[in-house]
Amino acid sequence: MLTNETVEAVIFRAIEALNAERQPSERITPTVDTGLFGADALLDSLEFVSVITDVETSLNVDHGLDIALADDRAMSRPVSPYTSVATLRDYVLELAGEAS
Amino acid sequence: MLAPMELRGRHVALRPLTTRDAEMTLRWRLDDRASLLNRGAATVEEQRAWIAARPESEHNFIIELLDGRPVGMLSLIAIDLVHRRAEPARFLIGEPQLVRGVPAAVEAMLLLYRLAFDDLGLHRVYGTVAEENAGMVKWQTFLGMTEEGRLREHYRLDGRVQDAICLGMLEHEYRTVALPRMTALVGAASVDREPAAEQ
Repeated sequence: MLTNETVEAVIFRAIEALNAERQPSERITPTVDTGLFGADALLDSLEFVSVITDVETSLNVDHGLDIALADDRAMSRPVSPYTSVATLRDYVLELAGEAS
Repeated sequence: MLAPMELRGRHVALRPLTTRDAEMTLRWRLDDRASLLNRGAATVEEQRAWIAARPESEHNFIIELLDGRPVGMLSLIAIDLVHRRAEPARFLIGEPQLVRGVPAAVEAMLLLYRLAFDDLGLHRVYGTVAEENAGMVKWQTFLGMTEEGRLREHYRLDGRVQDAICLGMLEHEYRTVALPRMTALVGAASVDREPAAEQ
């Protein structure tokens, strides 16, 4: 059973993995409010795809969940699921609920 | 002979690379971010000469934000209209600070794939990435490329020998995998930037 905390931890790990490629002054300490993609976000699209890939992989390998985070549904919502850690977490939980 | 062209998206445009871009593109190529790409020119003059020598069978682009600020470069090379294949290459975001939160890299690649598959009618795109450039391999495979093989000790970069990962994508994979994912990423990144349409 996925919880808010479980999904947040998965996303945090994916963001922290980016820090190895960033200058010390540009490293990210992720919180639920960390902007991911879109206006005021911290990631470029290369980094964002890395996060999405790592999150999908972790959900599959560690939690047996096979979901796609980048599809038509993601772009048809009033608020982008990629806006922040919190919106991505909620999107993951929504897709996980439908898959179970 | 391929005519110079400009490709325009929702966030970025691709315009032809010219010799006036020599200083800027050399700075990008000499940055640490490009350490896993093939080394090229060492001086502005060499870079200018390299740009001037690009054959007309290639499309070499500067990636610009729609306000005209250049942020990177991208090419479609080895275009073969007989075998209907080509190689996306020289992909580099040189101004990472300017593209935070902007789907610049995704949309630039999407524009290049549209050129390859829709405008040129190609059947396949392909390329190689240095093994240590794991982020680029991850990025390309998420966006539709398939790992097709490995060329052993194919590169010598920064004094180290590395394998080359061979990646490829067929037209139907572009339409069923790459295009939906890229469109979703570009579209979702636009949600918070663009005003809602009037009802």
